[in-house]
Amino acid sequence: MIQRVLLFAENRYARLVLVGLMVLSLQTTVFNDMRPFGVCLQVMVLLAASAGLARGSDVGAIAGFIIGLLYDLVLTTPMGLCAAVFAIVGYLAGVGQSLVYEPTWWTRMLLGSTASAIGMILLPIASTVTGATGILNVRVLFVALIVGLFNAVLSIPAERLCRWALTEPAAVR
Amino acid sequence: MADLSFTRRRAILLLSLTSVILITMDLRGSSVINFARSTFGVVFRPIESATKVVTRPIGNAWNGMTHYNDVVKENHRLNDLVAFSEGSTISAIASVREAQELLSLNGLPTLAGIASCTAQVVGQSPSNFTQTVEINRGSECGLKVGMPVLNAAGMIGKITDVYNKRSVVMLLTDPGYSLAVKVVNIPAPTTTTTAAPGTPVGDITTTTSTTTTTTLPRVTTTTGIPGFVPGATIATSSTLAPLPGEVTVPVGDVGPNQPGKSTSSEITVPPGLDVPLRETGALEGRGISRTPIVRFVENQPRFGAVRIGSPIISAGGATSLAPPDIVIGSVSRIVNRTGTLGPILEVTLAANLKNLNFVRILLYQPSSERVVAP
Repeated sequence: MIQRVLLFAENRYARLVLVGLMVLSLQTTVFNDMRPFGVCLQVMVLLAASAGLARGSDVGAIAGFIIGLLYDLVLTTPMGLCAAVFAIVGYLAGVGQSLVYEPTWWTRMLLGSTASAIGMILLPIASTVTGATGILNVRVLFVALIVGLFNAVLSIPAERLCRWALTEPAAVR
Repeated sequence: MADLSFTRRRAILLLSLTSVILITMDLRGSSVINFARSTFGVVFRPIESATKVVTRPIGNAWNGMTHYNDVVKENHRLNDLVAFSEGSTISAIASVREAQELLSLNGLPTLAGIASCTAQVVGQSPSNFTQTVEINRGSECGLKVGMPVLNAAGMIGKITDVYNKRSVVMLLTDPGYSLAVKVVNIPAPTTTTTAAPGTPVGDITTTTSTTTTTTLPRVTTTTGIPGFVPGATIATSSTLAPLPGEVTVPVGDVGPNQPGKSTSSEITVPPGLDVPLRETGALEGRGISRTPIVRFVENQPRFGAVRIGSPIISAGGATSLAPPDIVIGSVSRIVNRTGTLGPILEVTLAANLKNLNFVRILLYQPSSERVVAP
């Protein structure tokens, strides 16, 4: 039984869920109160982008999906909406990383920021597709800009966190 | 490489399909999704509470840095407001009680007759695109989807999700919110002047830009109700101000029963009664950065022009989301439209949605939100 629990804990996606829960609790508490320029900062989308930056597009898409699903569980948006959007964000971040020759810290920041901003634009578009009205307006661009700028600052530690969480079990040992 | 590409394609397809299935299930109201959300809430709540305790100093420091000046200003403003409101509150309470007694005596529904449940706001939505808050009462208190939520100032929203010990409240500003409302037009200021002794007795008609002035033998009265004369059983001949774009007709050419013109029909108005006129419309939220609006207000000449500051209250009715006469706010801006389209009214809400604490949920479930048994 303990062996099974250890095996489960060694799974990188299980670790990602635990990390995701921690970040989600930060998202719903401290980042929910801190609203610079009236915009709620989105660290969950940063986590999805960072997963793509850390481990490539495939792992980024799956990790983004899991992170988005966790976020969907506390939001009132349709379940699976954030999961789909965050999967795209993780995938795009991974693809962007693969296109950069010898990535540096600032290219990672730029990619994390851009992927987050794209996520913030895709989210209201996806909401509108599922029937929500009145949320696709000019403010979306402003929200994307603020979220992108803030996530650029946090993208390096977030990427390290994701790199650790998504390490293969053998490497962890 | 081909194998890797195939795996990648398969993974993306699987993720897409899963998302579509989940969205479809949720939009169709699947109980599995509700159960998953509820269970996750039970697991996640302790983690969130612990994080809240740990991160409170960070939040307080941030709020201290960014909102200190605002809080000081708000404190000064509220002190002035409290001083101003104390006197008028007592008379307002008396008036409300009298109105409720009157409604009860006539067998009409009142807010006092609806049971309620008090709750505290424990969190707001972390999303930038939905305006919801979470309260610490749920189905254990008898809450159901659709019930209206108020605070001391007025209506704040309706319940959209109910769990055992918590509920989600959609705020009035959410783009998905809509409610039937009444606009109560404020009567124009009434002035009464006594004619000086020796003034010749006769009917002299005076025309003003917005009001009707009729000189009676001894008293001149100005009312805000076009064509109505307080205290008279038969309205005397009077002239109304021309509406924008209307051709003015000489007084001598005016016949009886002309819309907006002189009237000689028998209309009885009790003396001194300034009856506020009401018009219905639909209140719609427009997101966090924009004020809600009222649409579908008919452009009726009898109702007259809506004035800034006119109160907005819930209309009630069989299919309305809320019982009648709940204060919502006041008109802050009027956008006139051409033709038969009525004006669009921007509404300043009575309740401050940015600073919600204790709220009251009326245990009134509108018929439109009741679950019909299969």
